[in-house]
Order: sequence, then structure tokens, then C-alpha cells
Amino acid sequence: MCGIAGIYAYLAVAPKVDRAELARMNARMLPRGPDGSGDWHSPDERIGFTHRRLAIIDLSERGAQPMHSADGALTITFNGEIYNYRELRAELEAKGFRFRSDSDTEVLLQLYADRGPAMVEALRGMFAFGLWDSRQRKLLLARDPLGIRPLYYADDGWTVRFASTAKALLAGGAVSRDPDPAGIVGFHLFGSVPEPFTVWQDIKSVPAGATLTVDASGPHAPRSYYDVASALVMRAGTTARDSNGARGQLSDAVHDSVRHHLVADVPVAVFLSAGLDSGALLGTMAELGARDTLAVTLAFEEFRGKALDEAPLAAEIAARYGARHIVRTIDRAEFERDLPAILDAMDLPSTDGINTWFVAKAAREAGIKVALSGLGADECFGGYPSFSDVPRSVHLLRPFGIVPGIGAMARRLLTRARGAGLKLHPKTPGVLEYGGDWAGAYMLRRSVFMPWELDEILDPAMLEEGLRRLSPLSLIAAELQAGRSLGDFDKVAALETTLYMRNQLLRDADWAGLAHSIEIRVPYVDPFFLAALPPGNVLASLNAKAAVADVPRPPLPAASRDRRKTGFVTPVGRWLSDAAGVDDDGSFSTASRAWLLRVWKAGWTGPLAA
Amino acid sequence: MATRILALVGDCYAGPGGIARYNQDLFEALAEGGADILILPRLGDARGMALPAGIRQLPPVFGRLSFFLSSLLAAWRHRPVDVVFCGHVYMAPLAWIVARLTGGRFWMQAHGAETWVGRRNAVRRAIEASDMVTTVSRGTRHILMSWAHLEEQRVRVLPDTVRDVFTPGPPSQALVDRLALGPGPVLLTVGRLSAGERYKGHEQVFAVLPALRARFPDLVYVVAGSGDDRARLEQRARELAGDPAAVRFLGFVPEEDLPDLYRLADLYVMPSSQEGFGIVYLEAAACGLKVVGGAGGGSGDAVPDERIGVLVEPSDEKGLVAAIARLLAQGRADQAAVDPYRRPHFAAAARLLLARLMAGRRRISGGS
Repeated sequence: MCGIAGIYAYLAVAPKVDRAELARMNARMLPRGPDGSGDWHSPDERIGFTHRRLAIIDLSERGAQPMHSADGALTITFNGEIYNYRELRAELEAKGFRFRSDSDTEVLLQLYADRGPAMVEALRGMFAFGLWDSRQRKLLLARDPLGIRPLYYADDGWTVRFASTAKALLAGGAVSRDPDPAGIVGFHLFGSVPEPFTVWQDIKSVPAGATLTVDASGPHAPRSYYDVASALVMRAGTTARDSNGARGQLSDAVHDSVRHHLVADVPVAVFLSAGLDSGALLGTMAELGARDTLAVTLAFEEFRGKALDEAPLAAEIAARYGARHIVRTIDRAEFERDLPAILDAMDLPSTDGINTWFVAKAAREAGIKVALSGLGADECFGGYPSFSDVPRSVHLLRPFGIVPGIGAMARRLLTRARGAGLKLHPKTPGVLEYGGDWAGAYMLRRSVFMPWELDEILDPAMLEEGLRRLSPLSLIAAELQAGRSLGDFDKVAALETTLYMRNQLLRDADWAGLAHSIEIRVPYVDPFFLAALPPGNVLASLNAKAAVADVPRPPLPAASRDRRKTGFVTPVGRWLSDAAGVDDDGSFSTASRAWLLRVWKAGWTGPLAA
Repeated sequence: MATRILALVGDCYAGPGGIARYNQDLFEALAEGGADILILPRLGDARGMALPAGIRQLPPVFGRLSFFLSSLLAAWRHRPVDVVFCGHVYMAPLAWIVARLTGGRFWMQAHGAETWVGRRNAVRRAIEASDMVTTVSRGTRHILMSWAHLEEQRVRVLPDTVRDVFTPGPPSQALVDRLALGPGPVLLTVGRLSAGERYKGHEQVFAVLPALRARFPDLVYVVAGSGDDRARLEQRARELAGDPAAVRFLGFVPEEDLPDLYRLADLYVMPSSQEGFGIVYLEAAACGLKVVGGAGGGSGDAVPDERIGVLVEPSDEKGLVAAIARLLAQGRADQAAVDPYRRPHFAAAARLLLARLMAGRRRISGGS
């Protein structure tokens, strides 16, 4: 994995690229790529790229970046992995293309020469890159279909800057830290900032599954080449098989994805919990011939000897598949010691990522560079309560929508009742108002705070402006625009994949993993895998989240199936609420609310204090 | 087929000031690229003027309602209208309606100060509905985007351009003899002396003259321009400058004499706090003068780096003295830094923006 950045002074009046600025951007991303660093500037110095390398494929200097095409016309700075690069290379070689290295980076250059920007559609992997086409004088920015790799850009009207992290853009010193109310309100609603917003007015995310071209007139509108809802509609149209056939299809899809995700010139480890999803990855790896795989499990001092401790069951799974098992125990003191570093590494404010921070830290201590993670399985297999809650809410409450104003009235009444002492979850008053449509019901399920609660937390003018710009319900509904025909399971899958997973889980996996120079690979987050699965209604009737236990041969141990789906039980919630200085009433929701406010207090926008 | 543009502007031909000139430069660049432009101004009567090919200007219409009706009439006469260009933020709602009715794309132009205050809801909604917004500076763009929700790619910067008459050259001996400013160095400010525009920073320069003349005994500060604040400023000069010979008020200087005036000076000094763009900085630099300008507003865009000059905090007297002394020692402005502001670049950028506008999807629904 790597860190990339670049500056393109596209308008004639813009000064040439400031090398010192690019160097500061590069330096801010040091942990993303400790193995090497490279810079490139065009002869006219109007465009410059920088790259920090974490060498995974073709460890030689020939894989160094920024990389140029043989004729020098194309230059790329690339972050990620292309898992089908060997297939693509073979296709290109058959067409007469000649290669100078064994890297996937060179495949990107040649593929662009062959197909232009449409080349992104052929890529299987996780990627973010900037590619300079000197003949057309165009910069192409691209991001993988599901948004695994981050890519941010800032355009001031003269010059466009891009980088793997928003904080690298700021570190350059030329990008304003002025706040964006939309991103700030988004963070307070969802616990993560919904793309394309960040908390800074001038910094935006290149949307997942999109390319963005910059020419002499500046950046053009991002062009989407992949949409989850559309992909699910296509999948829903495939022929359903009987349940045995569907199980086989699920198993084939996992095998195929894991095989692709093992492509590397360094050993690939796995993050192993006691759950089925990561166990299935390890089992499949073993089945595919991986030996002595390192499996890293996080344990908590507070849980030692209790049922909540994942380590014993994880050890059983590891033993079953011949893995070398590393259990890393953390305690509150270590959490508190790391907290400043965590907040510094956190690229955009987030209420999550702490577990990833520690498991990546453990992996780093074990000498690991690449690890598979079960992230994304819950989105594919329907592992969240939202898969039943949200459809139930929509079907039950939709009829109330025909009475205008009834929802808002109910909310005001119930809010008053809460004020008078009625014991209700703070989000409950909004059930009637929001719960009757997909976007509202999803927001109710996933939000940390609801819009009406933010009056007391944010400045009213900023809240109003932020809600206006963010338009949270339209933002959620947009993800279903192409998916009106989808069934309940697929609708929730589309929302969880494009919102919670993309804006929270994947972003957290990026900063928390790369803070320790760990590349996290996510075989369950892959459009090819998604398309190869049976349709959503089949997955639902199959109980896919349990069926995944039978994917590897031998299957996962019985104890791991019986384990109550505890969700995400760690003492981190308690640490967070303590760190935030509130009384813990034991609910994760209280903890995440308090933690959200603590994270926000760390200071994100406006002038730097020091 | 030529792109047909209906331009609704405050003023253009026969209008005074920077915005009128910017509009002329822009329309000429577009007309040279083949566009067919009909201008409806609120001020400035260009009847009888010879306008460049492809450009026509209607008689001015000042009243709001009559301007609206005239714009509809003009749109009908100029049909089919491909682009409705709106030259002022306040006129955005009207231009939006015209764009909607005509089926044209909506191009909004924002200059400086007007975007810092104009936040009526109707204005904001109209701007947010535009297909493209151009601003003269990055600063104006940033401010506009803080109160109007616009994706960054829709807001483009098209900086002011320097006219060809501003070039470096030897000072005119006649002018040197007439002004008799002595051995110098000569500091220069050009601008209206208006009670409504006291942000230009003349008084800040008066205040540092004693310190400067301690180092440069023959230094003279030349103030060009006239206006209702002149008497007061002359009084302030006497109070602050120490020596009456240190400041020379020239009064109004016609535009055709400006290049010679610039060439005669050693440094352009105007610690202004609110320039929308600061075209005057560039005109000075195009004649070879280095510039000490004021930070704030959009002037960073006219003084992008030290090849042209520096920007100082207008209230920082020590900083102003140090910057003047330092830049006096540096000599002339680097013409390579001025070149990108000259006409060929401006015209190419303007035509590229029009092509970009026409290639994109129209946002407003309605019309033909």
C-alpha cells in the first residue's frame, strides 16, 4: 500500500509546482509507505507527483514510482493493488505491448495507453491513482469501484492538488482549513463523514467508482463507472439455483476472491476474530495452499477468562487450519497511551477504527505487511440487524406517511415526554417521522445523532447550512436511485455498502492500518465477488451469514457457529466513554455519542493552534 | 454554428471601471472565437461606437422591471440563445428566469466585493442553479462557495487580463522633465481618491514615509487619481509624511498616460485591504514595476509570487517599510510572470470555458 499525491497548476497564471509543498505532503504520509519515496516533475514544472512506497508486488526498483511509460508520455502515481494484473498483462502482451517490470503499476500505464480512462472498468482490485497524459495534457484521477482506497482533491481555481489523505493536502500548506458545514453535520449524524464531503470546504473526495479528469480548464465533474445498486439489479436478474447450488456458488465466489487477494510478493496474513467471516477467509487460504499463515487476534485484558474473550475460539480456528496464531492483548492503559497518535492518524473524524488500529499495530509488531480482513462480509451476507429492522420499519410505517405532519408531531410530543422523564432512546421520537421510507429508516438505524438533536451541539447557523448542503436523506436515497426494483435484502445491502462500509469501515481500515504500514485486503469487498454471489433473496433464504462457515474444507468448528453473534463487543466502548468523560450506562450508543463529541473536540478545522 | 450569447451586464462598452473593461475583454475573446454576442447593459450608451465583429450592445436600461422586459425582448430577437451570461450577482435571479425561458445555458460571472455580501436566498438559489460560475480570483471563488452550494468543477476562475498598452520601456523624458521628481526612488499609487474607497492604503504609505526617507532621503511618493477624498488625503499627507516634498498629488491621469507614469516610477505601492482582484498591480508589473500590495480580498491573484511583488498586512508599518526597502533593491518585475495574464492566455482560457459550458449538460430544465 502506498501514499500518493500530486499538484497540477492547470491555469496559465498559476505558479509552477512548489517542490517544498509536495515534499511536505509526502512527509505527512510516511507510515503509508516506509519502503521508498519518489518524486516526478514535468519539464515545464506545471505538474508534479510524489509517491511513498510500501513494496508488496515486484519489490525491485523497477516497481518504483512515479512510473513512466516507455515513451515517457504517461506518468502514474498509484496506491493499491491490481489482483488481475497478470491476466490483463497477458491480454496486452497478446496485443503486442512489451513490459519492462513485473509490477501491476506498469499494467495500469499500458492499459491506459490501450483503452484510455475506460481502463478502470477492467481492473479488479483496490486502487487510487493519478495519471498524467502529457500528449493530451490531462490528469486522470481514479478510485476503485467500492472505495477501498481513498483519494482526496482540492481545487482552488488555479491549481488542483490530490492526495491519499486529506491531512496530507493540508500539510502541504496551500489548502484552506476553512470548515465545511455539510461534512461536519454529516459526521455528527453518522459518526463518519459521508463522501464526497470532508470537514474542510476546499477538500473533496473523488467518489468511489468514479474517474475525474483535469484539463487546462480545471477539474471536470466526476464520472461514475460503477454503482452498487445497479450491480445488484444485474445480479438479481441472474438465474436462481436451488439451495445446494446456491451454497456452491457462494463457496466458489469466496474461493475465487481469496485466491485473487493472495497475489503478493510478500507473505499474506489474516486478521482473525472468533466470527465466521474471518475464519472462512483463513480456512479458504489453507485450502488454496497457503501454509503457516500468520493469524492475528485482538484480545482485551478486561475479558480474559470471560465468554466475551475471542482468543480461545480464534485459537481453535487457527489450529484447525494450521495457522501460526498471534494473540495480542491490549488494556486500557495502552489505549490511553495511543490515543493522541490515534487522533493524529485519523484522517477524517470517525467514531470507529480503534480495533483496527490495535490489530494493525499487532501485525506490524509481528513483521506483517499484508493482511486479509473479513470487513464487508456483513454487508454482503446480511450480517447486520439493519437487514431485518429497516425493511420491517419501512413496511410497517409507510402507511403513516400519507398523513402529512403526523411524524413531526409525534416527534415533538415524544421529545417533550422524554424531557418529562419518560425513558426512551433519544432517537425513538423520530420513528414515525423517518421510519416509513428507506432513507429515513436507514438513517434512524445508523445515525449517532438525529438532525433534531444537533440543535444543542452545533451552532444553529452552521447546522442549518450543513443540513441544507448535505441533504442527508437525499444523499442516502441517491444510493438506491438505480435500485428501485431491488428486494429488501439488496436494498439494505446497497445502503450498508455505499454508506456505512464506504464512509466508515473502509476509511477507518485505511488510516488505522496504514498508520502501522499494514495493507489491509478485503476479499468480501470486491465487485467481481459481489457479482458472483447468488441474488440477495437467495442469500437471505440461505442464511448466508451462517452458511459462510461451510465455505472452507474442512468447515469452521461447531463452536464458532454457536457463538452468539455478539456484534462488536469490546471494552473499547467503555474506554471511549471514559475517555470522553461521561458515565457509562453500558450502552454502546451512549458511548459512541460521547466518543463522537470527544473526537470532534480534538480540533479539526480552522487555524492551527500551534 | 456560432454560439449565441445574450449578456446581461451592469455595464460594458461606454462604461467606466474595471468590470466594464473585464466584460469587454471577455466578449472580444469569445467573439474572436466565433461567438455572436448581444449585450444588454444597465448603464453605458455605446450607440455610435464601432464595436468588434460579433458584438452588439443594446441601449442601456436602468429600471429593474424595464431591464427584465428588455432582456426578454432581447432574448426573443437574439433567438435561439445558447448562453445567458449574467455579469452581476444581484441580477442572478433575473438571468436565471431568462435562461429558463430561452433554454440557454446559464453562465454566472462574479467579481469581488458583491459576492462578499450578496446572500439573499433568491440570489443564492439562482447561482446554485447556474451551469457555470466564473470568478476573477481564487479568493472570490472561495467566498462564493462558502455561502452557495456549488460543486467545485462548476466554479472556474478567469483572471483579469492586462491590456497590450502596458509594456516595459524607458521613461518618457518629457514626463520626467515635467514632473521633476528628483533622483528618487519614486513610489507610485494609482487609483480613485474616493471617500467610499478608503481601503486603498494611501495613509499607511504616508505614515511610513519618514522612516523610509531616513534611508532614502530623496524618496518621493506619487499619488495619481482624483476624487472626493483628495483634500482630506492631502491634509493627512501633510500631517504624516513629515516633509511636504515627500508626497506629490498628480490628480486624474488619463489611461493613455498611465504606461509612461508607471515606467517613470521605481515601485508600485498600494497596501489595499479590499481589492477584488488588483488589476492595477498587474498593469504596473506589466510596465516593469515591482509591487507592494495589501493582503486581503482577491489581490493574491494579481501578485502570485515575488517575481511580481509581495503583499503586506496594511496595518503592519514595519512590514511595509521592510517590504518597500527590499523590493526597491530587487529591480524590475519579471515579465515571464506577467505573460500568463496577457491577452492570448486570457482569450484561450475564455474560449475553453465556453466550450466546456457548451459540452456539459444543461442543469436548468425548461425552455426550448
